[in-house]
Amino acid sequence: MKNINNGAFHLLAWSCIILFFLTGNAAGSEPKQRYTRTVEKYTVPDVTLINQNGSKIRLRSFLNSDRTVILDFIYGTCTTICPILSAGYANLQNKLGADSAKVRLVSISIDPEHDTPEVMKSYLKRYNAKSGWDFLTGSREDINAVMKAFDAYVLNKMSHYPLTLLRAPDNDRWVRIYGLISTSDFMTEYQRVFRR
Amino acid sequence: MKCLLPRLTSLLFTIFKRALLLWFVLSCNLPAVGADIPSGLTWEEALKMGERIYREGILPSGEHLQAIVQDDIPVDGTMFTCVSCHLRSGLGSVEGRVITLPANGKLLFKPLSRLPEMAGSRKKMIPGYLKSSDRRPAYTDETLAAAVRMGVDPAGRRFNAAMPKYLLSDRDMEILAFYLRNLSASPSPGVTDSTLSFATVYTEGVGSADLEAMLAPLEAYILDRTKQAGYHKLKAGSGPFAEEMDLSYRRLSLARWMLKGPPETWQSQLEDYYRQEPVFALLGGISGHAWKPVHDFCERNRIPCILPITDFPVVSDADWYTLYFSKGLYQEGEAVARYLRRIMETAGNMPVIQVYRKTAEGTSPAKGFKETWERFGLPPAEDRILNSEEPVTGDFWEGLISMHRGAIIISWLGSRDISSAEGIALSGEKPHMLFVSSSLLDKDLNTIPENIRSFTYITYPYRLPQEGRDDIYFLVKSWLKVKNIPVTNLEISSSIYFLGWVLTDALMHMKQHYYRDYFLDVIDMMRDQTHLVANYPRLSFGQGQRFASKGCYIVQLTEGQKPELIKRSDWVIH
Repeated sequence: MKNINNGAFHLLAWSCIILFFLTGNAAGSEPKQRYTRTVEKYTVPDVTLINQNGSKIRLRSFLNSDRTVILDFIYGTCTTICPILSAGYANLQNKLGADSAKVRLVSISIDPEHDTPEVMKSYLKRYNAKSGWDFLTGSREDINAVMKAFDAYVLNKMSHYPLTLLRAPDNDRWVRIYGLISTSDFMTEYQRVFRR
Repeated sequence: MKCLLPRLTSLLFTIFKRALLLWFVLSCNLPAVGADIPSGLTWEEALKMGERIYREGILPSGEHLQAIVQDDIPVDGTMFTCVSCHLRSGLGSVEGRVITLPANGKLLFKPLSRLPEMAGSRKKMIPGYLKSSDRRPAYTDETLAAAVRMGVDPAGRRFNAAMPKYLLSDRDMEILAFYLRNLSASPSPGVTDSTLSFATVYTEGVGSADLEAMLAPLEAYILDRTKQAGYHKLKAGSGPFAEEMDLSYRRLSLARWMLKGPPETWQSQLEDYYRQEPVFALLGGISGHAWKPVHDFCERNRIPCILPITDFPVVSDADWYTLYFSKGLYQEGEAVARYLRRIMETAGNMPVIQVYRKTAEGTSPAKGFKETWERFGLPPAEDRILNSEEPVTGDFWEGLISMHRGAIIISWLGSRDISSAEGIALSGEKPHMLFVSSSLLDKDLNTIPENIRSFTYITYPYRLPQEGRDDIYFLVKSWLKVKNIPVTNLEISSSIYFLGWVLTDALMHMKQHYYRDYFLDVIDMMRDQTHLVANYPRLSFGQGQRFASKGCYIVQLTEGQKPELIKRSDWVIH
């Protein structure tokens, strides 16, 4: 009996160790690879969302732009992931300078109940967002449809993950970046997309 | 003399040894709290300055804190600062796959072990390969500065690039370190080794059915939880990993704090109760008056107040300690403003008249409408304010409508007032739209005359009957039956039933970290709730979000004996 318990305990202990390495990314350890990159094809749902100014935005036509589109999923009271994604957007706008006009930055709220146009406007102000960066909210149903369309659906906002999607104007393929990235990586990916 | 010398030497040696021991004890075992107040500052000043850096990202100079994140992204204190990830309590957070480790005084300045703290006998039960060295040694002021500025922990490991590298002067670093030493360094009041004390506040004048509907389920929950204490104590005595979770288990106690007399006297009554029994937090509670005196007491004493039953919460973006179900009647006014704004985008601006009495029931939704309407920059609505006893008759309605032809009327009046509006449809003149509140009609929507339903819109800040509400009510009723609690107000009891779930989840996540700010932090980090909530379609949380229900439908009522509710808006109107 003692041996069985001991064996079961070791199995449990090893399972926990393996699980630890497969899942959480504690702030104390440096990951070997910052992000993963894949190329995907998505169908943008034909939904109407609301931007930070309270204006209605037809998402499909908005994304079918003659500019490079960069899209992420965030929410206004997020603690860790979204502030870094948004600081990345802000710095990208700065780095691009005049070229910033060639890029449409889109952040889609995954907490649409709380993220009203007023909340989103104030959020963008905190990040010194320039023209060309829109924060979109909408009904729960429409937001779910958008998350699902981009294979980014999370049942709960607390379970979300860092995701950035890039698409060149003349291309229906999206570059999907999973992970938090630096501006130099962001610029590299942007230039790769833009050059294609 | 020759005999005395060795004795004297021995005595001096003993004194030296004791002095050395005393120095060692004082230098090594001094509690972290209060160590090294930055020079030239009082304790309070240093804490205040540290708190500003930690929470607002503002340095003592008034400048914004600067940092680099992800190696090359400059950020400042307006974007985020320590509190964003480590939260108010400093206990850290888990979001997606990113784990933010604790940065509070109690945990920062002692070694971080890979295993929970356990007695020696328990450690023997752990296999050798799990008994690895500590994850990191205790921080010192120097290693803390290296962590904050360069992103390296005392074990030499580099943090994930998500941890910003802050640009802090020595002086600012000293102030921040002082703040962290004192942050969540000792348990909050209301906590003993065996008990976690709560209180619930209710005020004179609340009907006995409503009071019972709040108190009985809350006390049943507390009793249930306390009954489990023996089991957890037993469980904590076996197994290597049982200890941390089960020794953190506390019995719960709940005091009844009844407030009497006029609301102006409530603050002092609350202070008296608190002096007699300092509690960890307030749970539930109910009042027919504005919750402000209780809210202010909680803000002043930094006491969490979780989900009181009130139509009149304090609507504030900055206050922290009270978590409400919703903004109450204010939210209904807000919803009408949002809905009408969209109507007027296509139909053009129309005159809007708000009708209400000079009571909390009238002024609260009217304020919600007015403040939201002003934010949209729309032409101001006209107010028609009635005295609290002024009757509303058919003549009143006819007079109002003929004076404001084609206007939109928003009525924040009760069911008797609305039933007298029957004559409107017969008079030949009717408003463009008439808005009424389901809460002020006590949800008895049949009081809305049939002939005015085609142009009457109702604010409905609840889950609709067709959205599975009755299934959840059935669940709550079953639980009440098991606990032998009579159903006196199912809506209130359902809210308290939900509060029980929040508490269970929060207390489980807190483990032994009984800090009030952490209590609120873990609730803030809770998953959105849709299945345990009968009264609302969704309750959602988030750092600093203080109103769990965000929406309010605009509905219309069909005609006939069994009218149905037809949705005219989404739950949240943007």
